[in-house]
Amino acid sequence: MIFSRSASPLEKISQELRIDLLDMIYRSGGGHIGGSLSSLDLITTAYFSDIFNFKKDHFILSAGHLCPSLYVVLARLGFFHKKTLATYSSFGSILQGHVSSGVPGVEYSSGSLGQGLSFACGLALGDKNNRTICLTSDGEHQEGQIWEAVLFAKKYKLGNLINIVDYNGYQIDGKTSDIMPLGNLAAKYVQFGWTVTAVDGHDFNQLQNAYKKAQNSDYPNCIIAKTVLGKGISFMENNCQYHDVKNLPENLFHKALLELKTT
Amino acid sequence: MSNSFFSIRETFGKTITELGKQNKNLYVVNADLKTPLFLNEFARRYKNRFIECGVAEANAAAVAAGLAKTGKTVFLVSFACFSPSINWNTIKQSICYNHANVKIIGSHAGLLSTDLGATHQMLEDVALMTSMPGMDVFAPVDAFETEKIINTVFRSPKPAYVRLVRPATPSIYPKTLGFTIGSSKVIKPGKDLTIISYGPILNQALEAQAKLVLELGKKAPSIEIINCSSIKPLDFETIKKSVQKTKRLICIEDHQQNGGLGQIVASLLLTNGISPKFIHLAVDNQFGQSGKFSEELYDYYGIGISNLISSIKKLL
Repeated sequence: MIFSRSASPLEKISQELRIDLLDMIYRSGGGHIGGSLSSLDLITTAYFSDIFNFKKDHFILSAGHLCPSLYVVLARLGFFHKKTLATYSSFGSILQGHVSSGVPGVEYSSGSLGQGLSFACGLALGDKNNRTICLTSDGEHQEGQIWEAVLFAKKYKLGNLINIVDYNGYQIDGKTSDIMPLGNLAAKYVQFGWTVTAVDGHDFNQLQNAYKKAQNSDYPNCIIAKTVLGKGISFMENNCQYHDVKNLPENLFHKALLELKTT
Repeated sequence: MSNSFFSIRETFGKTITELGKQNKNLYVVNADLKTPLFLNEFARRYKNRFIECGVAEANAAAVAAGLAKTGKTVFLVSFACFSPSINWNTIKQSICYNHANVKIIGSHAGLLSTDLGATHQMLEDVALMTSMPGMDVFAPVDAFETEKIINTVFRSPKPAYVRLVRPATPSIYPKTLGFTIGSSKVIKPGKDLTIISYGPILNQALEAQAKLVLELGKKAPSIEIINCSSIKPLDFETIKKSVQKTKRLICIEDHQQNGGLGQIVASLLLTNGISPKFIHLAVDNQFGQSGKFSEELYDYYGIGISNLISSIKKLL
């Protein structure tokens, strides 16, 4: 299977970042690995394609526990040294356990779910000349505040706002469909007056097209990205035990690393 | 007292509308309470800078934070029982932890919301907001001080909470006196006993003193009254100086005892090795209830004028 086909530049970056992410969580002693692996391609596409310019555009990570994926992206872009990744969530590190604006390149600190989309609405309203991308999770949509923001974005015609949903189908306690089913999320957003696109969240072409399509209009944009929890590591995929991992055993780390290196 | 009565919340509305005229960067984020806060004029004149969020205080707080991060000065407006009550965690994360320059206006605080009952009588807001890192907390004693505080927080680069009340209240703040963040004003000097307070309930200290003069004549105690409208940062030096002189302290507030000014000051006094005779008049772990007059509610909850007078007598 090794190098059976040539990877696109984004695919190659994503593969390398997945290894950085695993390494970071292993060395630092733990972190929210499942959702970080599912959301990585959404963030990678936003930062490494030429669709956005984050010197002006805004990226808001509403699901703050997914910060390992944002941290590896920002390290690769040179916002801070890659060596810093191993200090993740340690005392004195800039890399807080949940995303923090103390990290160069991070615009919003979060950790309490459901607030980032509202904050993104405020940014999009105050900076209409640029785009605001907000990353939320599917489980996060159980927070009522999300729906307050969804109403608000429509009322204020925030066409410069993109909410990309990392729809991996899992949350801490199990399947989202068991804990609190979201029903047809796309239909809900359409009903609330948003422009909705559904994509495979690990297909870079689909992701790029969806981001490109979400251009300024009178309607806020929602991209529902179907992703895989723990993407790329077989024993973590769709296994909500790996929502968060503490002290990953060495043998499992090497098993995971081997899988990522031979994908 | 023969002072005129003015509305604190109406003064807020007029002050913010005036500030909005001069400052194109001033935004109001509202949660469906523009009429009670006298913001109809602001909303009419500065349509694009009046952001209506509807009955959704959590969203409103984070929208305000995001707007502030684009360089605007933002006033988040609601009743205290909804904001900072419903949206406390949004204020913590999206405003304070993210250093967003948002001013939170909580009207209808305390038992002064009378007939509206327990759900609308916010008695925990000082506790909620003084415990928030990076948040300043102010409570004007009257309409004049409201105008000064709003002008001051508008210029401050930090988040702030301003506690307003519903009814028109006596105006006692000298029009010529400024307002400084972190400064308490001695309203009336005295030497036998110190009363500290904030908001319109402070008027009761003046009334109590006047009644004691009527009752006791020259034997009436000399009471020092301090307006702690800057609850955080608190001007502890002024309180300390007064208490070291009088050795007796009463704190009266339209708020719960737990987390109120009285507990903050008691802790600071003990820390500084000062132990005056002390009575804390505040609501004792109870919900409010409806009443037509604030006096009957104040009496029921032990923070009325008669409670204050008997407390003064007890300490002397």
